[in-house]
Amino acid sequence: MTDGRVTGPEPPPLPRNPPPPIDVRQTHVVSEFKHDVPLTTCRIAPCGGFVFAGAEDLNVYRWTLTGAQADKTVLSGHTSWVRSLDFSRDGQWLYTGGYDGRIGVWPVAEARPQAAKMIDAHQGWVRWVRVSPDGRLLASCGNDNLVKIWSLPQGDLLRQFEGHERYPYAVVFHPDGRRIVSFDLMGVIKEWEIDSGKQLHSLEAKFMWGFDQKFRADMGGARDMRFSSDGKILAVAGLSDVKNAFAGVHKPMILLVDWSQQKHLHKLTADSFSGLAWGVRFHPQGFIVGVGAPQGGNKGMLWFWKSGEEKPFHSVTLSHCGRGIDLTPDARRVAVAQFDGFLRVYQLTQPERQG
Amino acid sequence: MRRDYGCHRLDHELSRRSFVAGTVAGTAGLTSLVSPGQAEVLRKSGKRILQIYLQGGLSQLESWDPKPGTLYGGPFRAITTSVPGVHICELLPHVAQRMHLLSIVRSLNLKTNSHHDGRLFMEMGRRAGVYPYVGAVAAKYLAPPNAALPGYIHVTTRGLTDNTEAFLGARYAQLRLLGPKTPEDMVRPEGISSASANRRDQLRKRLNRRFASGGAQPAYTEAYNATFDMAEKLMLRKKLFEAEPAASDLARYGTHPFARNCLLARSLLKNGATCVKVTHHGYDTHAENFNFHLEQLGEFDRTFCMLLDDLHDSGMLDSTLVMIMSEFGRTPKINQRYGRDHWGTAWSVALGGCGVRPGVVVGATNKLGTEVSDREIDGGHLFHTYFQALGLDSTQNHDLDGRAVPIGDPARAPITELLA
Repeated sequence: MTDGRVTGPEPPPLPRNPPPPIDVRQTHVVSEFKHDVPLTTCRIAPCGGFVFAGAEDLNVYRWTLTGAQADKTVLSGHTSWVRSLDFSRDGQWLYTGGYDGRIGVWPVAEARPQAAKMIDAHQGWVRWVRVSPDGRLLASCGNDNLVKIWSLPQGDLLRQFEGHERYPYAVVFHPDGRRIVSFDLMGVIKEWEIDSGKQLHSLEAKFMWGFDQKFRADMGGARDMRFSSDGKILAVAGLSDVKNAFAGVHKPMILLVDWSQQKHLHKLTADSFSGLAWGVRFHPQGFIVGVGAPQGGNKGMLWFWKSGEEKPFHSVTLSHCGRGIDLTPDARRVAVAQFDGFLRVYQLTQPERQG
Repeated sequence: MRRDYGCHRLDHELSRRSFVAGTVAGTAGLTSLVSPGQAEVLRKSGKRILQIYLQGGLSQLESWDPKPGTLYGGPFRAITTSVPGVHICELLPHVAQRMHLLSIVRSLNLKTNSHHDGRLFMEMGRRAGVYPYVGAVAAKYLAPPNAALPGYIHVTTRGLTDNTEAFLGARYAQLRLLGPKTPEDMVRPEGISSASANRRDQLRKRLNRRFASGGAQPAYTEAYNATFDMAEKLMLRKKLFEAEPAASDLARYGTHPFARNCLLARSLLKNGATCVKVTHHGYDTHAENFNFHLEQLGEFDRTFCMLLDDLHDSGMLDSTLVMIMSEFGRTPKINQRYGRDHWGTAWSVALGGCGVRPGVVVGATNKLGTEVSDREIDGGHLFHTYFQALGLDSTQNHDLDGRAVPIGDPARAPITELLA
C-alpha cells in the first residue's frame, strides 16, 4: 500500500496447471466473506480484485476477493440501504444508489474510501445506477418515477425522462451507448434516446407484475437487468404468476427480450421454485446465470439456462437466499450476496489443483 | 333461515369467567351502572369516533416508532414533526406536519401474534370472551335515539364477519358498507307504493309483537327490527352514497378506494353517524414489507390527513375521537423476503381529537424495538382511554336487564397521560 491507496488488488494466483474448463455442474464455494446483517446486492470491480456489497444497514462493504475476511472495509455515507452498485469504466470509481435518494461516488481502491461526492438524485429511493459503455454518463432511476442521466465525472444532471407511472426499478444502457431502457413496477419497459430525450419505444411484460386482489397492491418490477454484450437481448430478473404478494407466493422469472425485434424471446423459469429471481448475468460461454430467493425456507438457488431453452439445465442449491450476483472478469466465478450476511464466491469449474 | 339469527342472549355470549367477574363486580357494589341521566347527557353531546383500521398489521418501525440505523431499522429514515422532539417515519410526511393534533402510544404488548385475537383485543378491550366492539359501545351510549344514520358504520373494501355487538343487541351492530357505492336494496321495488310499503311494515311490526309476546327471545325480533330501522335510515339518506365526490375533494384525498372511503366517512360523520370505521387493507407484509409500506402508507398518509384537516377545520375534531389502529405490529426482524411478520409484542397506535391530549408520546420500546421498555399498554388500557376521552366512565357497567357487566376490563385502567 502506498499513499493511502491499495497498490492494486491482488491478482488471482497463476495456476501452474491449465485451469479446468467451465463446468457449472462442478460449481462449488471457494470463499466466504461474513457480514453481521443480510446483504442486499454485490458487484465485482472491473479489476477483479475487489467485491463490494450493500447490506441491510447504512454502509457498503468491500472485500479483497483473494483476501481474508478481515479485509472488510466499510464505506460509510449513505443514510439508508444501498441496493445498486456500478463502476467507472477505468475501475477507479464506485457509484452507489441509496434508498436515501442519493448517489454516492467512491474511490474503489483507497485504503479507507470516503465519498468523493453524494449527489441528491431522486425524491425517495434511488433504485438503480448504471454507467454508460463509454463511461461518460451515469443513469439512475428512483421513487419519483424519474429516470435521470448524469455527467461523469462531474455528477451534473444532464437530462431526465418522465413517463413511468409507477416506480422504475432498474435502468440500463444499451451497448450502443445512445439509448437507455428502464423497467417499472407494472412491467412496463421504456426505451429512451439519450440525446433527444425522446421515448423511442414502450412495451409491456405484464406477466412480471400482479395485482393482489385481496390486499389490493401491486407486485412486480425488475430485480436485475442486463443487456447481452452485443445488445441484441435484454434480460430482466423478477417474478411472475403472483398468487399472494404479501406472502411472497409467486414464481421467479428471467425474461429475455429480443431487443432488435422488441418482442419477448424467452421466459426463463424454474418450475419447482416459488420466490423471486434477484440477479442475472450473461456468461461469455453462451449460457445465462440467475440467482433467486425462495418464498419459504432459506435455500436460495443458482440457475443455469442454455441459450434457447426456458428450463435450467442445471441448478445449485444455496445455503441461503441469493439477492445479487456478479461474475468475475474471467467469468470463472460468481459472487452471490446472501441473506445470512455472507458474500459467497462460487467457482464454476471443478476444484483447481494446488501446486 | 337460521332460527337463531340475531340471537345474542347473555348466557350465550359471555364466557364463564367474564360472567362471574361482571356479576361479582355488580353485586359487590364496586361499580355502578350507567345511569339514564348520564346516558342522556352523553347522547346529546354529539361526540363521535373515527376509527382507521390498518388491517393486517401496520409496521411500527415504518410508522410511529422508527429506529433508523439500528439492526432491524429497515431502510426508511425518521423525520421531524410539528411536535418538537417527536420523530416518525418518513413515509408519513403529511401526518408529521399534523403531529400536534395526534398522540402516539409506542408500548403496546398484546401478547398475541394472531390476526383474530389481536383484532378482538383491540376492539373489545378484552383478551378473551365476547364483548362489544368499540363502535358498538359508542353506538349504545353516544348515538342519539333519533340519529339520522346507524350508530356504527364500517366502510371497507372487503368483509370480515364479526360479532361486533356481542350482548348489546343487534341495534348496535356494525353496518358494513363495501365501499362508497349505494348499499343494495335501497330502493323500494317498482310496483309497491309507499302506502303499500307502510302497510307491510305495520304488519311486520304487529307480527313481531305477537311473536315476542309468545315468550320468544326478544333478540329474535330485535335483530329484524334493527335491520329494518337501519335500512330505513339509509334509504332516507341514500344521496350520501349516490353523489360523486367533488373534483376538489378527489384532488385532495385521491381517487383510490381508501380515499373514496374516507370521503364517505366524512359525509357519514357530518350527517350524524356516531362511529365510522374505515379499513385500509394491505399491511400484512410478510414479503416486500418496505415496498408495500411505501404503497400503502403513501395512500394513507395524505388521505387521512385531508380527513383530519376537514374535521379540524369544521370544528368537529374536538368532538371526534380519532384512532389509527391495527391488530398488531410487525416483527423487528426482517425475513428473507424483505418482509416483517406478525408482532404483538412491542408496537404502536396513534389517536387524537376528542378528549385526547395532543402531541404526547406514551411508552417506549428498547433500542432495537424488540421489547417494550417503558409503560406497557394493551387493548384493555386503550379501550378505557377511548371512552374516558369521550366522557363515558368505562369503569361503570352495562346494565343488561339488571345484570352488571363492566364496560371496560376491571383489571385495566385508562392511560391518564393521554387524557386531556
